Amino acid sequence: MAFEYLNYALIGNVTLLDLIIFGIAVLLAVVIAKAVGFYLKKTFSDRVEMAELEFLIKVIQGLIIVIGIYLALPSFDINLADMLVVGGTIGLVIAFASQKIVSNFGSGLFLIIERPIKPGDSININSVSGTVEEIRVLSTIIKTHEGIYVRIPNEKVFSSDITNYVANVARRFEYTIGISYRSDAGKAIQIVKDLLEKESFVLRHPAPSVFVDTLGDSSVNLRVFIWAPSRVWWSVRTQMLWTIKKALEDGGIDIPFPQRVVTISRATRDAVPPHEGKEAEHHG
Amino acid sequence: MFGVYQIPFCVEAKGITIQVVSGNSLSTYTRISPGGKIAKQLGYGKGKVIINPVEPVNLPSEVTGMLEFHFTPVAVRPGSTITLYLKFPVEIGVFVGDDENYTLIDVFSLAKAKYSLYGTPEKGFITRHVECEVFESEPSTEPLEEGVLTLSLNNSSRDWIEVSRAVFEGSTMRLFYGNCVAMTGEMEVLSRAIAVTRIHNTGSKDAMKPAIRVYPTRKSLIPEKLFFVMEYGVGD
Repeated sequence: MAFEYLNYALIGNVTLLDLIIFGIAVLLAVVIAKAVGFYLKKTFSDRVEMAELEFLIKVIQGLIIVIGIYLALPSFDINLADMLVVGGTIGLVIAFASQKIVSNFGSGLFLIIERPIKPGDSININSVSGTVEEIRVLSTIIKTHEGIYVRIPNEKVFSSDITNYVANVARRFEYTIGISYRSDAGKAIQIVKDLLEKESFVLRHPAPSVFVDTLGDSSVNLRVFIWAPSRVWWSVRTQMLWTIKKALEDGGIDIPFPQRVVTISRATRDAVPPHEGKEAEHHG
Repeated sequence: MFGVYQIPFCVEAKGITIQVVSGNSLSTYTRISPGGKIAKQLGYGKGKVIINPVEPVNLPSEVTGMLEFHFTPVAVRPGSTITLYLKFPVEIGVFVGDDENYTLIDVFSLAKAKYSLYGTPEKGFITRHVECEVFESEPSTEPLEEGVLTLSLNNSSRDWIEVSRAVFEGSTMRLFYGNCVAMTGEMEVLSRAIAVTRIHNTGSKDAMKPAIRVYPTRKSLIPEKLFFVMEYGVGD
């Protein structure tokens, strides 16, 4: 027979033919999973958020591959009950041998279940700030604000302090704006309040807060607290400061440079010797 | 301005100009309004364009689907139902398509948008905020700028309750237009903290036409809601 070698037992009762059938079945499952993933993406990309869709596709693809493997197993003539025992033992051995991988895998599962972060979120983990690109089984991929790819093992993500800047629907930011001592602080506060009232994304509730915070060396410092929807807070933050600055200048409010007034008193005969003269400082 | 137009056409009102100039296989859509100007190419030379009011939650960007009315407090007797009229800003949608398959090509408004937070930053909702007064009868409005919500307010609790907020979910909204733009809805107040809001699929007058909505054109898989539960209070 030409293909007799296919029936040679390679491991126990498992023949080369069994292995080929198993390989083809798994390959077929992978191909079907890919095709289903492509179909789901094509059909639902307009209807479901991309991050959610990616997660859904991964789960479905994983299920298809597991089912493919399960269906292919009879070709090995393996008793599933025995396999569970053997699988358990092997699993234990592998777990001890690859603790880090298993730990990362477990952490990945918990990250997916607990969902402290999800793709698209703006986050900070340890010293890495950026946007979550993908949560994989073993690692999480972050794109930093500079566009750099960072891969963090899931175990590290799970055990670290995570700051998720967009988990809440609204967030607050603040400015400190110094105006000159000569300027009318009440008028400046009104100008800023009017401006914030006109800006769509500055939330009405909780209302923005503008007040005199400190009397500084060179300026009266106003503090501005603004709440904005998390999805747009950064653009509001970057846009509003310059708008406030221009509105204050248009309203005749000075924004001073840091300054120091030095008064030098001329020495007279009756006065203290020059080396004991003193400089007086006044706030500007 | 609201209605169905056959390409080519030009319509003007209240400083808004909308026109579609047809070519051989393409046509050019242009809209000029106080908010700005937009031009787009449409992939056909003949067909229809529908202009009608849409759910007022799309501008300046799709930050939220919730509409919050914040009005002068109204004290409602336990077990009673009263009818209020509230004004809301109109957004104008321009659709192309045929029969059941429409797509939104433009949305604009003469009203200024303002957002707010209903609830807490952790679990609340960003809302399109409408500060309005309460009318006893249907107020007159300029349809391109304002619409009227006829709100049936029912206090089913055992206490007098002061109501000054009503929040509606975008997917529940049904707008009707004719001489004015209208929604009719109801709010059942269960307690000072909880109320249920709904928008009815009827206009305030018989002759009104139902407006094509933006929500179905998004073809979202998230099912449309029939009501919204306000869990963060009905007062200030």
